[in-house]
Amino acid sequence: MKQFGKILKFELNGYLTNKIFVGITIFLVVAIAIVMFIPNIIGLFESDDDGNIAPADLPTMLVYAEDEKLSAIVKQYFEGVFVDYNVKEADGSIDDLKEMITSGDADCAFVMNGEASYTYYVNNLSMYDSNTAIADTVLQEVYRWKQMVDNDIPSETASEILSVQIESSTEILGKDQMQNFFYTYIMIFALYMVILLYGQMVATNVATEKSSRAMELLVTSANPTSMMFGKVLASCIAGFSQLVLVFGTAILLYNVNKEALSNPLIASIFDIPIELFIYLIVFFVLGFLIYAFMFGAIGSTASKLEDINTSVMPIMFLFIIAFMVVMFSMSSGSVDNTAMLICSYIPFTSPMAMFTRICMSTVAWYEIAISIAILIGSTVGIGILSARIYRVGVLLYGMPPKLSTIIKTVFKKQ
Amino acid sequence: MVLELKSIDKSFGEKEVLKGVSFTAEGGKAFGLLGRNGAGKTTCIRILMNVFPANSGEVLIDGAPIDYSKIGIGYLPEERGLYPKKLIIDQLVYFAELKGMSRKDATCSVDYWLDRLGMSEYRNKRLDTLSKGNQQKIQLITALAHDPDIVILDEPFSGLDPVNAMLLKDVVKEQIAKGKIVLFSSHQMSYIEEFCDSIAIINAGKVAISGDLYEIKRNYVRDKLVVSTVAPERIKADLGEACSEREDGSLLIHLTRPDEKQAIMKRLVESYDIDEIKVFEPSLNDIFVEYAGEQV
Repeated sequence: MKQFGKILKFELNGYLTNKIFVGITIFLVVAIAIVMFIPNIIGLFESDDDGNIAPADLPTMLVYAEDEKLSAIVKQYFEGVFVDYNVKEADGSIDDLKEMITSGDADCAFVMNGEASYTYYVNNLSMYDSNTAIADTVLQEVYRWKQMVDNDIPSETASEILSVQIESSTEILGKDQMQNFFYTYIMIFALYMVILLYGQMVATNVATEKSSRAMELLVTSANPTSMMFGKVLASCIAGFSQLVLVFGTAILLYNVNKEALSNPLIASIFDIPIELFIYLIVFFVLGFLIYAFMFGAIGSTASKLEDINTSVMPIMFLFIIAFMVVMFSMSSGSVDNTAMLICSYIPFTSPMAMFTRICMSTVAWYEIAISIAILIGSTVGIGILSARIYRVGVLLYGMPPKLSTIIKTVFKKQ
Repeated sequence: MVLELKSIDKSFGEKEVLKGVSFTAEGGKAFGLLGRNGAGKTTCIRILMNVFPANSGEVLIDGAPIDYSKIGIGYLPEERGLYPKKLIIDQLVYFAELKGMSRKDATCSVDYWLDRLGMSEYRNKRLDTLSKGNQQKIQLITALAHDPDIVILDEPFSGLDPVNAMLLKDVVKEQIAKGKIVLFSSHQMSYIEEFCDSIAIINAGKVAISGDLYEIKRNYVRDKLVVSTVAPERIKADLGEACSEREDGSLLIHLTRPDEKQAIMKRLVESYDIDEIKVFEPSLNDIFVEYAGEQV
């Protein structure tokens, strides 16, 4: 136990004095600070012109109809909805109009073939061009209104009928996926990044000790279980404090700068209920540990640093598959599908799967309890197993041993 | 204090590495553990240090099973290596702490040893900025800083210049004088002969010979004569295959039976012009080659 404390302190110190680690942390904190102040920075440049641009600077939209009355009505309505355009009535032939668009004098044109039919001319059709959709709605309304007036309905009544508003309200009894989506997404992504990054670090750390032969002395000085747990917990503390710093900065600056960040999307990210936050920490720590132990064990079987990349591949695949299942389920909106149900009990996938389900669906307390219990049990089991692999692995040099050899050696009675 | 390894067996998978290895090392004396590459010396040392257990056999201190929480062991591994990117003082204190010292005592002791080995100026430098010999001295401190009862030195002199070798000899003598058990493993026989009172030669996992070095030499079969003469050709021609020339020009005469020694010596002195004649005393090198060289 005493040794464990010393190892933990030494390893932790290793992270805190590592210039790259400190540099990345500072970079992330500064980056997040900049992101949090982007609305203020944009506001700084925009404050002069109040967001109004002179009509002459707006792109030109042409409206053309044989019937001059129709042309005037359409122009009037379009001016109301296309505020980003300078809407003009066109004169001349359709060929002149096309010429104006191709030469860039006008941006687009609506040529009315009748009251309910038009051709839209545009040079390059943008992926996000919604002009025809807007025009459809407006023209539909104009057409209906005109028809009603023509059929002797008073124009006020016609306007009232057309502008009727449906009042609605939604009461969420379970979870609001829309609201929870973004912070769940961010948390799953953070978990993914941190586990991969720190897992690699643990594996590299062990393999470096082995390749520098510091291991020869370490195995004779400390017991392998203390070594393994010390290393993994140190990386966990380092990773966690890095996250706390980054997210802490984000939360702090959000509260300082709440007014400028009034966007409901951003607000939803920071509005995590406290019980979800606790689940987040539980799943995060356990998920981190279970993978870090595996990475550590694998690091101990590699005799050269170059071997690590191939050795960690199976774990990486396992982890990426878990990540993919969760991400696809999240974006499809069905987080309670069979794959997710299974994944929320498998210890290697449950940190992500179960957490997502808790955030975005309604999960019974006993399901959560079972999942966490399995995860804790497996983490301890994997921890002990990895310490044994470590004990065997650190003294093997040469070719990375076969999995079967390791298993045989580990389970052979000591 | 007496350290005793008793019929140690160890196999890795199918491969039997140690087959009933036993030897005894006493406090206040240096013990040489010899053997060819791959003979099982390092495995022996690792079992002694409890890195892994033996399949059977015991490690005893004064007749009782060794208690690793009480007996401190210092180890200079043959494969040297510490943390290249870390400060020297940090890692030395860390290793001493792992061996059970408090931070304060560890720092104190490490500073003493840095000073003793003339390395104080490197205290706050990174290990990889040092030369190989100096790194070796730093490594030696990890073996000695926690004042262990048993000191195991594997090839301690390799890579050291003559001045540093002298310094290390003094340190080793000092440790022996303090009554510690000093276990040497080396292929440089001259150092073993200089320090060690007793030895064990391991060959293919078995102890080929062990015991007091002087006794081993005395008991060596006295069936060879070393002859210095001005006319070696005549003797060689007369004795044929029983006679061979040594590197220094003297002749080595193999006797068919040790008890004909007197008769042969007399005959040689009477028949030839002899400068010097003596019974062949083997060096440790000869003993090593004889016991470790064959049966492989």
